[in-house]
Amino acid sequence: MGTDLRRPLADSGALWFVVSAVGSVGGGWLSRQAFRDSHELTAAGFGTLLAGLLSILVAGFAAWKLARAGVYSWLLPLAAVNLLLLQPGRAGDVRTWRLEWGVMGLAWTIAAVLVFARLLRRSDELERRLHLEGAFYGFATGLVASVVYALFETRLPELRGQWVAVALLLSWWAGYLVTARRYRWRA
Amino acid sequence: MKNRLRVLRAERDWSQADLAERLSVSRQTVNAIENERYDPSLPLAFAIARVFALRIEDVFTPDAEPPPPSGEPPE
Repeated sequence: MGTDLRRPLADSGALWFVVSAVGSVGGGWLSRQAFRDSHELTAAGFGTLLAGLLSILVAGFAAWKLARAGVYSWLLPLAAVNLLLLQPGRAGDVRTWRLEWGVMGLAWTIAAVLVFARLLRRSDELERRLHLEGAFYGFATGLVASVVYALFETRLPELRGQWVAVALLLSWWAGYLVTARRYRWRA
Repeated sequence: MKNRLRVLRAERDWSQADLAERLSVSRQTVNAIENERYDPSLPLAFAIARVFALRIEDVFTPDAEPPPPSGEPPE
């Protein structure tokens, strides 16, 4: 008599994940577009920047909903998506404000780590175990992948630190999902 | 480890969510314990026993009972 744990899309966190991912990536892109043609903020750029900030606000709200619903494992792929597409700390196409973008990216990253640590401390013992085992799989995968990369490094593109972080986050999340399946769902 | 969580919960007409709330854990955790997929920590096992006003051994039993002690006491 196993309880059915399959939940509607919104309850599972998938919907808020998509909203947050689209909001943050779109917001980041819009904000950068505001400075694309000029070092200074023009009137047209101001509107784009405002839309970008609004989009980031929506993304933050969606991430908050994920945390409130207790499905914050979604924050792992969310962080991976943001790292991959926004690359905080890298100026990219922004000719000026490089330092500001870099510091802002670093601040967001540290804040995300602190929030996640706080959520983990507040979660119950099974959830903590799932993350512990998931994180182990993440780091184990990273270890194997780094040796494999070294093996083929002459033929592979130069490795960026943020790609490593993305791989670690995604393998942590995959490990979490596998472990959660083992503990929570009957085969 | 075997447990009688489902029976005890049914006797009190509690849902998994009700029990989870009383134990301050998630419903998924109650489900995992109930289905014997996860053995709770000692503090949580005591909390479960307390919620049902029972002794811990009335709720949980090991998979294999330990053999009874041999009749001859050591000298």
